[in-house]
Formats: sequence, structure tokens, C-alpha cells
Amino acid sequence: MEYKVEAHRIMSISLGKIYNSRVQRGGIKLHKNLLVSLVLRSARQVYLRDYYGGICLSAQQAREWCEGEYMDSEQDKLVPGSTESLPESDGQSEVAVDKQEPSNVVESHAALDVESEASGEQDHAENGVLDSGCSELKTPEESPEASPTCEVSNVENLHEPIVPHTCTNRKRSADDSELTDSLPKKTKVMSSTLISKNDEKKAETEEMDTSNVSSLITIFGSSFSGLLSSEDGAQPDSEAEDSDSGQICCDQMLKNLNPWSTAIVAF
Amino acid sequence: MGEDTESSKGNHSFLRDYVTEADVISTVEFNHTGDLLATGDKGGRVVVFQRETVVGHKPKGELDQVGETGESGEYNVYSTFQSHEPDFDYLKSLEIEEKINKIRWLPQQNAAHFLLSTNDKTIKLWKVSERDKQPEGYNLKDEEGRVKDISTVTSLQVPVLRPTDLMVEVRPRRVFSNGHTYHVNSISVNSDGETYLSADDLRINMWHLGITDRSFNIVDIKPANMEELTEVITAAEFHPHHCHLFVYSSSKGSLRLCDMRASALCDRHTKLFEEPEDPGSRSFFSEIVSSVSDVKFSHNGRYLLTRDYLTAKVWDLHMEKGPVETYQVHDYLRTKLCSLYENDCIFDKFECVWNSSDSVIMTGAYNSFFRMFDRETGRGVTLEAWRETSKPRAVLRTRRIYTGGKRRRGDVGVDSLDFTKKILHMAWHPEENIIAIASTNNLYIFQDRVSPDTQGPDLGSDTI
Repeated sequence: MEYKVEAHRIMSISLGKIYNSRVQRGGIKLHKNLLVSLVLRSARQVYLRDYYGGICLSAQQAREWCEGEYMDSEQDKLVPGSTESLPESDGQSEVAVDKQEPSNVVESHAALDVESEASGEQDHAENGVLDSGCSELKTPEESPEASPTCEVSNVENLHEPIVPHTCTNRKRSADDSELTDSLPKKTKVMSSTLISKNDEKKAETEEMDTSNVSSLITIFGSSFSGLLSSEDGAQPDSEAEDSDSGQICCDQMLKNLNPWSTAIVAF
Repeated sequence: MGEDTESSKGNHSFLRDYVTEADVISTVEFNHTGDLLATGDKGGRVVVFQRETVVGHKPKGELDQVGETGESGEYNVYSTFQSHEPDFDYLKSLEIEEKINKIRWLPQQNAAHFLLSTNDKTIKLWKVSERDKQPEGYNLKDEEGRVKDISTVTSLQVPVLRPTDLMVEVRPRRVFSNGHTYHVNSISVNSDGETYLSADDLRINMWHLGITDRSFNIVDIKPANMEELTEVITAAEFHPHHCHLFVYSSSKGSLRLCDMRASALCDRHTKLFEEPEDPGSRSFFSEIVSSVSDVKFSHNGRYLLTRDYLTAKVWDLHMEKGPVETYQVHDYLRTKLCSLYENDCIFDKFECVWNSSDSVIMTGAYNSFFRMFDRETGRGVTLEAWRETSKPRAVLRTRRIYTGGKRRRGDVGVDSLDFTKKILHMAWHPEENIIAIASTNNLYIFQDRVSPDTQGPDLGSDTI
């Protein structure tokens, strides 16, 4: 548990450093930002591993009532704009519910808040599988801050959203096209909200739009083997993604990458 | 920049403690004979010190008492000039810092001295020359230089050179600009005396000292897709004897030796020096801590000295699988990496140097401490470069960091270390045991006092 808090703290600090590097005299220092992004990646890996490690234990029992209970309870919470097939819309409604609380992410600085809010708006309109991971991530953070009793109830709530969304993920994973559709929207949000930086950063942002899509497709194409290895350590595919997430304010990336990890843990 | 400028601020301690950002020394370098010492600062200025070749100024008796061998060897300011100015890249809307990143002297070929100085983007070649004579007795011009009235000239005289006060002139001879997109971190003069390399985060260029509008790109590690970037170049140096060999270090902790005879573009290394990571010590900050901040060839060209955040390592050029010696510089910081990350100290780039005989290595640390390691015994010593404890001609005493066990008087606790007082830049005289240590805006020059009684150098050092 402490690792998770520590990892999150390191992530916040790292993002703060990347943000501040933009206003530093002499331009962005590539070396320092690369190192900060590597720390960010390590912290994120620990954070996700720690988080999903805990969830995995209860994933089995939660899977039993995967399709059943929550569908009734969440039916009325369907968000307009969910034009997807039924399982996905359930996942999306879950997202809609969860999204409200942690849309102002715990991250400390303004630029990220802008991005997360902007992305939050976008996400409501899209299949929210990609975001649900992030929102679920954030909720456990909010809960310790609230109160111990709240934490218990929140954790329980967590099991519900995760499970269907992993089930959804399973179906979804076979279907790349929806992902690719969602991605251009998300990446567009990213690039528009990012304030312009120097040449290397800007080039990365723009390059990310297209390569993000292709790298995600590659990862899904290799049926989780790429993702599994990314859990353990440095692989080229994951590294590319991870260095992305470091080099650009990575709130969006967190949301993108979480569902894959969830998928792995579930299966 | 030296201690002279400090005393001119008066005796008020609060004034003394106030350090202008521009005065912070950013590089120190002896020339090839050791007679000249150049320092560059964050304000873009270069100060050159010259060693006094004083023999016999002191009465003979006093010399014998102190035990000195003859030269008093004090370094005094020889010349000061503004090397780089703050610049602006209009295309990218970026300010270019005037901070001098590196100074390298050229081997002396005539009476003048040449040095290369670089900031983030531009390298300049400066000529430092002396003038102590002036021509007098022109026929057509008078003493002030005004043209004479020809009718007043009745006889011809031959102009003669008369001695005048010594003047040191510094002129920029070459400006090597527009060679780098990223920040230049190293320059290194080739042993051929004609070329030099400059390295930035992703590329290394080779220049000819006489040609400023062209350079050869010899290393390019920029990936086609910037998102795949995993490492950057942190330092580069030519081999001291072989003009076709150079080494560069990366942020991943690896060193690559390249042979320019193999191909024009040395993207493929000839040798890769890498130590496998210890899986037990893995942490969030493993990658930062393993990034090499400085690399130096030994004088004999057989070894490489590298510095990463916590250690200094000696590598044998013939063995790629790992260093032959590893020295823990400040291992007590290993548990404090998180707070050092927060206050940005973990990104500090420490330099490392060899002594003239390659038997001792030296590197800096925090709290104005610097460390020397004797390669034969493997033992290290901690010394302090701090005005309050060093008086001129006092003997430096060794310091200790208290990390447990019996605490001795004078031991410094890890938590009381001052991380703002860092020794990043230093230089060792090419032939003698004289070291120059830069501590923020102060320059300390320490000399080894050779005791007449013992055979080797004394354990203590003099401060000058």
C-alpha cells in the first residue's frame, strides 16, 4: 500500500518537473526530461502492478456476477452518446459514473487539470473502456483521503466497475477498430491542450497522434505478449509507449494503458 | 571569480554568502603544461589564471624551512573575457544560455595560447596572446598615431620595438555555430592537433579547427521516431594518442568506443562497455543513478574513468564486460535518492579526473567535499573545499561522513550535508599534484607539499 502512495507521489513530482522544464531558461533539457520520464514509467509500473495485484485476488469471485447484478443497477445511469453494443455501453455507463469524481485528477498542476477535464468531456462521448481503468485508479486514491469507512465502500464499488469492464475488454480486445476510432479523438485532445514546447517535444506530440494508434494496434495484435512483457520491464514496444507517457504530460497515457494491464490480470 | 573578487565585497558575511548566479563556475581546465588554468562561469565569462614561475623571490632560508622545492606556484589572474553572450533562437523561441559548458586548451604551437569554449550551441576558438613590446618611431605617424605633415619629415628613422607593460589580448579566431540542435555537453581536441569533436545529446560532430562552416557528423543516435528515444549522449572524448579513437558515454551507463577508420558514421561502436545491472538494487531511480556524467581517458590511454551519481568506475579498454575498479563516492546517499530526486540533486553531473600518473582519481561530492581514491590501495579520502576551514597554506585535513559505528569528532552526519554546496567541476595539473576545485563561485587551488623527510608526497595539502 505504501508503495502505491509512494509511486503516486513520485509520479506527481515527475510530472511537475516535466511541466516546469518548459519554463526553464535555456530550453528543455532532453537528458533530464528523459530521465524524469523513465522514473515516471517505473513509478507507474509499480503503481499499476501494486494496484492490480490487489484486485486480482478478488477478480475471480467478482467474475461470477460479471454480467448479472450491475447491469440492472447501472442501466439508468447510461450516458447519452453510447452508441456501442450492450456490453460496451455497460462499461461506458460505469465510466460515466466513475468519471465524475476523479475527473480533476489528483495531479498537482494546472496543465494536467486542463487536459483531464478536456479528456473527460471527450470520454463521455466515446466508449469509455480506455478511461475506466484510469478512473478506477483514481478512486482508491480519493478514498484514503476521505475516510477509512469510505475506503471500504469505495473498494467494494471498485470491484463492480472493474469486472464488467474486463469482460467488456475481452470482447473488445478482439475488435481493434473501435479503439483506433477512439484514439484519434483522444490524441487530438492531447495535442490541442498541450501548450507548445520546443522542437523535440512538439514533434513528439504530433508524431504521437499516428504512432500511438499504430503502437496500440501492434500491441493488441501480438495478443498481449507485448503487454505482458511490458509489465516486467523494458521491451521496445512498451518502452515507446512509456517514453511517450513520460515525455508528454501523461494523464492521457495513464488512461490509455491501464485497460491492457487490466486485461492481462483478468486472464 | 576567485577569492579576490569575494574580498572586494566587504567583510559582511551576508554579502559574502550571496552568490550571483552568473558567477557560478561551470568548468575548470588546465592547459597542457599546467601553467595556465581557465575557468568558465554561468555568465559566459572565461577567467584565465597563470602560474607564477617564482624562483628565489623568497629568501633562501625560508624556502628551506617550508621545504618547498623552488616554485611558489601561485596562480594569478592572467586574463578575463566575455566568451559567450545570452542568445536567442528566434525560430524555436528559445533562449540560449551563455553558460560555458566546457573549455579545452589546444596544444601550444607558438607563443600564443588557444582555447575552445562552448555554451549550449556555439563553440568558439579564442587566441590568448601577450604583447609586451610596441613599435615606436614611425616616419609618417606621430606618437599618437596622427599622420605627420610630410614637410616636417627631414630624415628617415627605422621604427624600433620598445618594451611596454604586459598586455594580454584575447581575440575570437573562429566561431563554430549552427552545428547542434541539442545542447552541447562536451568538446574534445584530437591528438592530431587539427580536429576536435563536439557532442550534444544525440549527435557528435567533428570539426576542423580552421573550418567553421562545415562539420562532419560522426555519431547520430537520434531515433527516427523520437518516442523511441531511450538514451542520450552524456559525454565524449578523443583518445589521448590515437587520433581515430573516441569514446562516448550514455545516459544508460554504457560507454562506446568508436574507431573512425571503420566507417564515416560511427553509429556502430567498436567496443561497448557495459556493466550488467544488479537486479537487487533496482529502484525507481536506477536509471538516473546509472547515467554517466563524465568520462575521461587515462593519460596513458589504457583506461577510462567514468562517474555516475553514486560511483566512479575505472574501465580497461581491453575488457568490455565491466569496470576493473569501482569506487563508492557517497554510497550513503543510496537510501536518500527519493528526496534527492525531489530537490533535483540527483541530476547533478559530477566530473572526474585522473592525476598525472593515473594512480589517483578524484571526483566531487556534496557539502563542499571531494574525494580522492588511490588506485593501488583502493582507499579513498574525503577532503573539503570550504573557505572557513581552509586558510592559505593550511594543511587540508581529511573529513569523514558518519554512517554508523563509532562517531569521531568532526564527523559529519548524512542529514546535515549541505546539498547546495556541490563540487561538480575540477581539474588536475597534467604533471604535478596541483588540483583546482570549483565550488559554486569560488575556485580553490590545492598543491601537494613535498616533504623533504618522506619519499613520497605528504598526506596533507596546501591551499593557495
